[in-house]
Amino acid sequence: MLNVHPTTLLFFNAKGEWKFLVNFGIEFVPRELYWKTTYYAIQAEKAGFDYLWITDHFNNRNVYVSLAIISAYTDKIKFGPGVTNPYTAHPVLTAQAVASLYETAPDRVVCGIGFGDKTTLTILNINQTKPLSTIRECVKIIREIVSCKSVEFKGEIFKVSGAKLNFRVRGHIPIFVGAQGPKMLALAAEIGDGVLINASHPKDIENALRFIKNGIEKAGKKFEDLEVTAYTSFSVARDGKKAVKAVIPVVAYIVAGSPEVVLQAHGIDMETANKIREAIVHENLKEAFSLVTPEMVEAFSISGTPDECIEKIRRLVKLGVSQVVIGSPVGPNIRKSIQLVKEEIMPHFKEIEAS
Amino acid sequence: MGKMEKIVGKIPIALWEVLSEKLIDVILNSSNAEQLPSGLAKTILFYWQRDQLASEAGLQKLLEASIKIEPEKTIALMNELGLGEVIATIVESMKT
Repeated sequence: MLNVHPTTLLFFNAKGEWKFLVNFGIEFVPRELYWKTTYYAIQAEKAGFDYLWITDHFNNRNVYVSLAIISAYTDKIKFGPGVTNPYTAHPVLTAQAVASLYETAPDRVVCGIGFGDKTTLTILNINQTKPLSTIRECVKIIREIVSCKSVEFKGEIFKVSGAKLNFRVRGHIPIFVGAQGPKMLALAAEIGDGVLINASHPKDIENALRFIKNGIEKAGKKFEDLEVTAYTSFSVARDGKKAVKAVIPVVAYIVAGSPEVVLQAHGIDMETANKIREAIVHENLKEAFSLVTPEMVEAFSISGTPDECIEKIRRLVKLGVSQVVIGSPVGPNIRKSIQLVKEEIMPHFKEIEAS
Repeated sequence: MGKMEKIVGKIPIALWEVLSEKLIDVILNSSNAEQLPSGLAKTILFYWQRDQLASEAGLQKLLEASIKIEPEKTIALMNELGLGEVIATIVESMKT
């Protein structure tokens, strides 16, 4: 018996085979010129993606500027920061930003929150102190602000005295919490409308689901009330080697930012992982990327030919995820890779829309 | 008649779709992409959102962008598609 998320519908296709219906998301890193990211966003919407996530790092283009432009050129796709963090952006400012976006795209805005990328925050000398309390308080503040309440909040981390927006949000902004470790996963399930599991490997997703179930139970929710999302680093191309080559820089950053427990679960050598982290902090990117091993690529990405990617996604869906995010880098040629996802991957999971 | 209008007017309609696809690749993969004026980029996005990049107006904008940031590749593309007679008009448009 498959352990499939209740909202991940199983259905027969015309050939009488069982197929899954799952939401597809896509992530862009706004490293590219704004019009390129927007071009790909429009393409993603046309391809049938349900969600679009834009990363938030101080050294790339601003996430909300990117999203505002995307909002102007799209009509259906849901979008939001994926993810922002409460260490570089106060929750009130995040709430203001997503509330402003909502005005430009009603019922299409989502908000992804996480505790940030260790490597980037290290450059800013920001310590990710008390991540669980920080995220819990952050989500509470954002929810209240976007509900147009006047917020009086005295938490362990944040204190807010009568903050209130001067405009109304006429709808709901779902909050997705990004998580990787056991406690954060449970918290994400407890307080989030969705969980963004920062993982690509079925073993990690399977482990994550155990902790997510704990969080769901604690909150008294139903599993189907939660959008369980596998936020993968992804790369597809007809030439599988090119796809893998494209994903190596992303894998290097994941290794550098992953907790020890996650690295050890995949048998990743800690010494190599630390060398990668150091190289990235000192901006020796060539060195960092050269240290990435095939085991790291396998553990932290979905990469390869369309058929290989289909098989890997299928394993995640079988475990119970309701959204698969095609994360950065998407592929060696983003435009062609989006087209491959649309034409060769999505139809295996979205037969209803495709037919 | 504008320069781009003149160029597109010389291209057979049967080639608009394939030319549009190839010009998009040239523009997106250009190492001179930063030189594309923001106003022109936004017009291209406008046409893309409406599936009009292979229309006469969309193609004019793609050609304008491509000639601006990748003139040599644009001419090579015209040769590849057997549009040699268009090249003189492109070269002429670059002079003025």
